[in-house]
Amino acid sequence: MTENWHSVTLNIPFASEKHALIAKQVIEVDSELQFHVVKRTIEVDGHVLIAAFSTLTVRLARLAANAFLENVDLVVRTLERFGEEAENPPSS
Amino acid sequence: MPGKTRKTPLKDADRDYLALGLEGSANKLGAGIMKHSKDGAAIVLSNIRHTYITPPGEGFQPRDTALHHREWALKVINDCLTKAGVSMHEIDCICFTKGPGMGAPLQSVALIARTLSLLFSKPLVGVNHCVGHIEMGREITGAQNPVVLYVSGGNTQVIAYSRQCYRIFGETLDIAVGNCLDRFARIINLSNDPSPGYNIEQEAKKGNRLLSLPYATKGMDISLSGILSAAETYTLDKRFRAQGATGDEDTITPQDLCFSLQETVFAMLVEITERAMAHIGSKEVLIVGGVGSNERLQQMMGIMAQERQARVFATDERFCIDNGIMIAQAGLLSYRMGYETPLAKTTCTQRFRTDEVHVAWRA
Repeated sequence: MTENWHSVTLNIPFASEKHALIAKQVIEVDSELQFHVVKRTIEVDGHVLIAAFSTLTVRLARLAANAFLENVDLVVRTLERFGEEAENPPSS
Repeated sequence: MPGKTRKTPLKDADRDYLALGLEGSANKLGAGIMKHSKDGAAIVLSNIRHTYITPPGEGFQPRDTALHHREWALKVINDCLTKAGVSMHEIDCICFTKGPGMGAPLQSVALIARTLSLLFSKPLVGVNHCVGHIEMGREITGAQNPVVLYVSGGNTQVIAYSRQCYRIFGETLDIAVGNCLDRFARIINLSNDPSPGYNIEQEAKKGNRLLSLPYATKGMDISLSGILSAAETYTLDKRFRAQGATGDEDTITPQDLCFSLQETVFAMLVEITERAMAHIGSKEVLIVGGVGSNERLQQMMGIMAQERQARVFATDERFCIDNGIMIAQAGLLSYRMGYETPLAKTTCTQRFRTDEVHVAWRA
């Protein structure tokens, strides 16, 4: 049945493997709203975040990919703002 | 005061604790840092908030609100840390609103909380929004065991504490009182700046006529959607003058409607609060939530309380209106009792009842 589904794969490189893993762990907590018709896998390969979507309709492919990218953007901006500070703990 | 005084299970702090609280369940994006010091004091180190204000006549939709939060959250969190003079490394736990509220905005804040948690290796604490309001109200006012009237745009509940649970004595059967007021403000095209409820309060002071609106208390509960419809119907009445008083005898102005709406719904709220007080013999009322900043409501509650030799406690708009510090406070109390939310369980939920929370930090 799923042979006729649509698929989208997104590869997002991060500054480091650590950041890519953080993005994976943060985003995968929320399951897809329509998980019966949207299948999602999120993996990390080196410093690249790989998300693969398989959806029943083209519209769902657009929605799932769009929402994912918006979430990635938010995580990236957070890592950008706080990433450097996290690497430099104060010596106490 | 009802009940024996039991020893609190919350042990004294062995050191200073710091918590970051993040709130975004409605249109306010708040971040706050709370410190629980070794000597038992709870100190607000910073409390920053940015509100998504829509044009007059429009309410806030989930998608736009989520976009607003995503745009402002990092700046608000940064300002919050700077103002407190604290770095993320010194924080003990990151508290965030798990629910109730609007889905997309809640999730936006949760994503940031999770990212910070993994970056700085800090535990996450999911907090119930309503419990946040209650705990901040208790902390700021020092009320011992009050009946809590929680009134906001999203929630209207009468709550009393018993055996480690905030029990709901009465609530709205349909819409929240803040929602009723906000929607009426949209009908008469009031500005949403700083908030529609504030502008209704100001307009109500200029009202002259008390118009008849349905008074809908249902036992311990209230119903508000019928009152909203009735108020809207008045705006279609041929006596309605949108621009205000004309000097003619029999006119209905928006100010009259604001006044009548407030008097009616606030009287209903006072009644169901009084029922709960009578039920448990309480001498204290704590008003929390955005609508709690309305001075007329505080005044009416005060009249009822005085007749019962009781006291009314209320906070100002810094703590009444949704904010991050209340999430930090409730979260830190949970954290000190050993509660943490594992990453896999940091999802948000639109429906999260106040009485689902195990209030471990109280006797």
